[in-house]
Amino acid sequence: MSERITVDARGMACPGPITKLVRAYRKASPGALIEVLATDPGFKPDVEAWAKRTGNEIVELAEENGVIRAVIRVTGKK
Amino acid sequence: MERILVLGAGTGGLVAANLLASHGYPVTLIEKRETHLFQPGMLWIAFQGHNPSRYTRPVKELVRPGVELVHGEVAGIDLGDRLVRLADGRTFTYTTLIIALGAHLDYDATPGHRELVERYGDFYSGASAAEKMWSHLRELTSGRLVIAAADPLYKCPPAPHKAAFLAAYTLKRMGRLGSVEVHLALPFLHEYPSEVVARIVAPKLEDDGVRVSTLFTVESIDVREGKIYSLEGEELDFSLAAVIPAHRGPMIRVEPGEVLDEDGFIKVDKYRLNVEGYDDAYAIGDSSNAPTSKTGVTAHLGAEVVVDRIMGYDSRFNGRTNCPIVADGTASFVISSYGHPPVPVKFTRFKRMLEDLFIASYWSSLKYPERWAPIFRAYFNATDPRVISGGW
Ligand SMILES: Cc1cc2nc3c(=O)[nH]c(=O)nc-3n(C[C@H](O)[C@H](O)[C@H](O)COP(=O)(O)OP(=O)(O)OC[C@H]3O[C@@H](n4cnc5c(N)ncnc54)[C@H](O)[C@@H]3O)c2cc1C
Repeated sequence: MSERITVDARGMACPGPITKLVRAYRKASPGALIEVLATDPGFKPDVEAWAKRTGNEIVELAEENGVIRAVIRVTGKK
Repeated sequence: MERILVLGAGTGGLVAANLLASHGYPVTLIEKRETHLFQPGMLWIAFQGHNPSRYTRPVKELVRPGVELVHGEVAGIDLGDRLVRLADGRTFTYTTLIIALGAHLDYDATPGHRELVERYGDFYSGASAAEKMWSHLRELTSGRLVIAAADPLYKCPPAPHKAAFLAAYTLKRMGRLGSVEVHLALPFLHEYPSEVVARIVAPKLEDDGVRVSTLFTVESIDVREGKIYSLEGEELDFSLAAVIPAHRGPMIRVEPGEVLDEDGFIKVDKYRLNVEGYDDAYAIGDSSNAPTSKTGVTAHLGAEVVVDRIMGYDSRFNGRTNCPIVADGTASFVISSYGHPPVPVKFTRFKRMLEDLFIASYWSSLKYPERWAPIFRAYFNATDPRVISGGW
């Protein structure tokens, strides 16, 4: 099983969730999964833009009861 | 007997201690340094060649009679026993504690960073580092000046922008802005963490001749080769560079450890600023985990809230920020508070005058906060993000 990191950024306003994601990304090894939970509505477009620009893959992006859950596979790191 | 202990004579600690003394409270202030540095001054030293003496004062000149100043380094706090331990073994007990120890700059988080600062100085590490940066900038006739950050969380979010604007202005006056490129590499998706602010800052950066890279979080620095590598997989060549270090909470032992978050910042109630689980200890300014920007303004306003609370008022901190973005002859501010994201604030000459007034008032506002309180209050109320939500 690959490494899985969970980041809880619920209640944080922009740019909190992306900051937390960047920090988790720094520690993650290639192939790891990073799961981010956020309530900031701006997080959805932001995480999509981030993944696209950094070459990482969004495996899951869903919203339920006001909580956005994004799962990212680290594919942008050598 | 009542004893209020304030840790750290930075912006927040001095305002808190002097305000308490003005109300007649017995207060002890513990500080490890002899000199207080007005930190934004490092930008003016590094990029405009100002004399450091404008931005430094002996701590003992900044405290009022009634404040007992102790020179020493805090090593640990025991919240349960109400005990503060210094590195030299002295101990202090308190009835109320105010922690204002600022943030710790972590150079070891980024390979090559120490070497970079040793070689070129920077605008975060102190007045002499800023002087060193200036001595290199004035010799720079070609190549690229890179301003970057090792982590998206650092004090004064628009500081790198200010650095780039001021450097570009200096190089322009020297007639070198064409041959030297000023390159601002930011760890954010846009030119500023808030898109609203980014839309105002981006055209200004372009007008003033600053090149920008976004999503560039410094991962390592090769000083000999003159290269900075980013976490996102890119690289930048530089002739001169300043990288904002990663920030951590104060490097002290705190009991119980649960009051520290994963980065060592002290967990507080974001409105009352008391340390989580304790009503006789507070943390203000950069050392707390309050979810707002780490700035002198928030440290100052937080100190006022805590002193009010000690006096028995039910004051609440609202997370207000007022970070100036200084450009050539003009300024804008990043204005937000809890629940109110930054509003659009245009660059104007009038705002630059306000910012220059804030800078000029600094020493007096540390020592006599109560004299400045009505003036600042009027300003903060008039520019409350709810009042100017449509823009200013
Ligand atoms: C380049 C730059 C530009 C900035 N521009 C602005 C701006 O325009 N507007 C703005 O509002 N803010 C600005 N800031 C941010 C501002 O300077 C800080 O946020 C502010 O100083 C925080 O105040 P503080 O009291 O929390 O911490 P500090 O002012 O950092 O004070 C902490 C104090 O604690 C002392 N200390 C630390 N550890 C110990 C220990 N173990 N024992 C004893 N003493 C200790 C330190 O020596 C220091 O005196 C800027 C910062 C920088 C670096």
